[in-house]
Amino acid sequence: MARKTFCGSLAHAMDRRAFLGGAAAAGATLAADMTALNALAAPDVNKSLKKAQKRVILLWLAGGASQLETWDPKPGAPTGGPFRSIQTDVPGLRISELMPKMATRMKTTCVIRGLNTKNGDHGSAAETIMRGRRDEAALRYPDLGAVVAREMGLPDSKVPDYVTFYTQTEGRGMAPGNAGFLGARYAPMELTTNNYPEHIKRLDGITDRDHIERGQLRDLLGKQFAQGRSSETMNSQTEAYQRVRGIMASEKLFDVSQEPQKVRDRYGPTQFAEQVLIARRLVEAGVPFVRVGRAWWDSHGQNFETHQEMVPELDHVMATLIDDLFERGMLDDVMVLTLSEFGRTPAINASLGRDHFASAWSSTITGCGIKRGSVYGKTDPKGNTVTAEEVDAGSLFATIYSALGLDPNKNYYVGSRPIPLVNPGVEPIKALVG
Amino acid sequence: MNAPNPDTLKLAKDFSRPVITFAIARADGSETAYLGCSDFKVYAADFAAARFEPKELYAHESYVTGVALAGTTLVSGGYDGKLTWYDTAEKKVICTQDAHAKWIRKVIASPDGTTVASVADDMVCKLWDAKTGQLTRELKGHKEKTPNEFTSMLYAVAYSADGKLLATGDKVGHVVVWDAQTGKQLGTCEAPVMYTWDKVQRLHSIGGVRSLAFSPDGKSLAAGGMGKVGNIDHLEGKARVEVFDWKTGKQTAEFPGDKFSGLVNRLAWAPDGSWLVGAGGAGEGFLCFFDAANKKTLRQEKVAMHVHDFAITAAADQITCVGHNRITVHRLG
Repeated sequence: MARKTFCGSLAHAMDRRAFLGGAAAAGATLAADMTALNALAAPDVNKSLKKAQKRVILLWLAGGASQLETWDPKPGAPTGGPFRSIQTDVPGLRISELMPKMATRMKTTCVIRGLNTKNGDHGSAAETIMRGRRDEAALRYPDLGAVVAREMGLPDSKVPDYVTFYTQTEGRGMAPGNAGFLGARYAPMELTTNNYPEHIKRLDGITDRDHIERGQLRDLLGKQFAQGRSSETMNSQTEAYQRVRGIMASEKLFDVSQEPQKVRDRYGPTQFAEQVLIARRLVEAGVPFVRVGRAWWDSHGQNFETHQEMVPELDHVMATLIDDLFERGMLDDVMVLTLSEFGRTPAINASLGRDHFASAWSSTITGCGIKRGSVYGKTDPKGNTVTAEEVDAGSLFATIYSALGLDPNKNYYVGSRPIPLVNPGVEPIKALVG
Repeated sequence: MNAPNPDTLKLAKDFSRPVITFAIARADGSETAYLGCSDFKVYAADFAAARFEPKELYAHESYVTGVALAGTTLVSGGYDGKLTWYDTAEKKVICTQDAHAKWIRKVIASPDGTTVASVADDMVCKLWDAKTGQLTRELKGHKEKTPNEFTSMLYAVAYSADGKLLATGDKVGHVVVWDAQTGKQLGTCEAPVMYTWDKVQRLHSIGGVRSLAFSPDGKSLAAGGMGKVGNIDHLEGKARVEVFDWKTGKQTAEFPGDKFSGLVNRLAWAPDGSWLVGAGGAGEGFLCFFDAANKKTLRQEKVAMHVHDFAITAAADQITCVGHNRITVHRLG
C-alpha cells in the first residue's frame, strides 16, 4: 500500500510555508558542513526558530515511577509510605519531600494527577503512552517523537529530528521509538550504548574531500536512476543521503565536554544528568524531539529505597533543566514532559514494594503552551482511584499536541484513509492549554 | 550455659496485624514488648493478654524503624529523623530530639543501658545519653555517596556483649568497628557481595549490610544482607550472612543461602556462641540458624511474613519476630 504522509491540507501547507518563510534567512546560512551548527546557535537564527518551532524533551521514567513518591503523595494514609509531602510555590500544591527543588519550581509546571490508562503491562502500556493509543491490527501508529519530528522537523535540517537516549537494557525493547506509518524518515536516532552516536564520524581512512566527492557521485547516480521512476522508498533513501553531511555535523552536539564545566557541574555527574544536558544542547540546535529514558523504576521490592535513590536525581536534573531553559529564554518553546508507562500501586507488598498500577497515576508537562502552576485531576485519600478530572492517554496526547500548537484533529493519510493525530472524538484538556 | 538446639524451634504464637512492624524491644522475661510500626505509631504489646491488642503509646511523623529499651526508658526512632524518649513506668514522653537529617534505620541500647545508639541515612552513628537524651558522640566513618554518585544508606548498628565495641554497616557493604567509649575506629570489614549496583540493566542499586551482631566473646562480627541480585526490581538475592574476624577484617565464614531470598534484617548469637540466627525475607520470611565455627547451616525455617526485626531472650529460648502484617513467637528447648 502506498503511503501518503503529507495531508495536502491548506493548514499544513500554510504552517510549513510560514516556517520556511520565517527561517528563510537562517536556511540560507545553513551550509551543509561543520559550520552549520554554529549558525543555528546564532541569536537571530534561534529567534527565527523559536517563532515557528516548538521542541520537546521527554523524560521517560521507564518501568513506572511511583506517583505517591513524586507528584501525588498521600502522607499518613496506610498506602502513603514513609515520605512526607512538602508545600510547593503553588498555593495548596504539595509534592513528595523527595523533590524539594521541583517544589520551588512548580509555578513552571502542570501536574496531571488523574491519569487512568487502564493497562498495567509494561510492553503494551509503554506503547500506549508513547503513542497515545493502541495500535490496530493493520495499522501501527507513530509515537509522539515521530509525530513531533514530522510536524516540527525541517526538510533541510542539519540536525536529527528525533533522538532517543535509552542506555539501560531493561525496558528498552518495550518502549522503542517508532515512526509507525510515518515511515523510517521519522524514526529516532537511538543511543543505547553511550551518549555519542555510533558511526557518525567520517572514517579516518578517507578525507573530507573524498567524502564529499563520494556523495556527489552517489547523487549523480541516484538522479540518473530516478529518471522516469517514482518511489517513496527511493525518495526516502535520497532524502536520507542528503541529510548525511548535516547529521555528521551534529556530532559535537553529543559531546558533553563542549559545555562549560560549570554547566556540567550544575546538571551533575550522573548519566541521566549528562544525557539531559545533551538533550538541551540538541533542542537548542533545533532538534524537535529528544527522549531521555531513565531506567528502571519497577520497584516491586524496596520501593521506598528505590525512590529514595532515584527521585532526588530526577528532582535535581529536572529542576536544572527547567532553570537552564528559562535562563536561555527557551521555556516557552521547549516542552519538558515526564511520562512512565504507568504508576505504582498504593498497596505496599511484603517486599516493601509497589506493583504496576495504571488506574490513578501522574505525569507533568512544563513549558510551551501549557498552563503553568496548574494541577489537573484528583485521587482519593488512599490513591486508589481518580475522583475528578480523569485523563486517558488520548486526551493527554491531544493536550500535548494542542500546547505545541498542533491541531489534534489534523489528518495524516494512509492510502486514502484519514488518520487524525489522536483518535476521533478525543479532546485536549481545555483548562490546561492557554 | 548451653544454648538450646535449633532443632527444637517451634512456633508458639502467631498474630495478624493491620500494619507492618519494623522494630521490637522486649525486656528479658517480660511479657510486654514495644513495637515500631508503619502507621507511624509506637505500641506496647502484652503477649500474656487473653486477646492480643497492642496499645498505642505515641506517634512519629513517619515509619518507626527503631525501638530500644534502656531500663525503663524506651527510645524510638523513625524515618522522620526524630528520636523520642518515653518513660515506660510513668507512661509519658520525656523528650523528642531532631536527631538525624535523614531516615533513622535502627536504634539500640548499650548492654548496660546507659547509652542509646542510632544510625541514619545521613551516614552518622550518634550516641545518646539514655536517661537525658543528650547527644554524647558522633561517629563518622561512612561515605555519603556510593561510588556511582547516588546517596548511600546506613542500615545497621550493634553493640558487643560487654558494651565496649560498636559496629556500623552501610549500603555498599562497608562495616566499621568503633571503640564505643572513645569513638575511635578500631577496624573495618568489607562485604561487597551484599551490594548490587546494576549499571547495565537498571542503573540503580539494592542491598547493603542490614544487620550486625558480635559473637559473645567479641572476637567475631556477623553481617547480614542479601547476595548479588539479578533482577533488582525484587529482593531476589539469596539471604546472605558473612562472619568476620573484625580485628583483621578477614572473612572467616560465609553463608550464601540456598533456600530463602531476601534481606537478613536481624542477627543474634546464642549465648554460648554455638550458633547464630538470622531473620528477614522478601515476599515471605525466614529464620536461619548457622554454626559459624564449623561453617554449617543448621536449620532454615519459613516464617509466615517478611521479618524486619526480632527480640531474643538472654537464654535464647524465645524469639519474637515482627514484620509484614504479622507477629510470631517461637520457642526453643
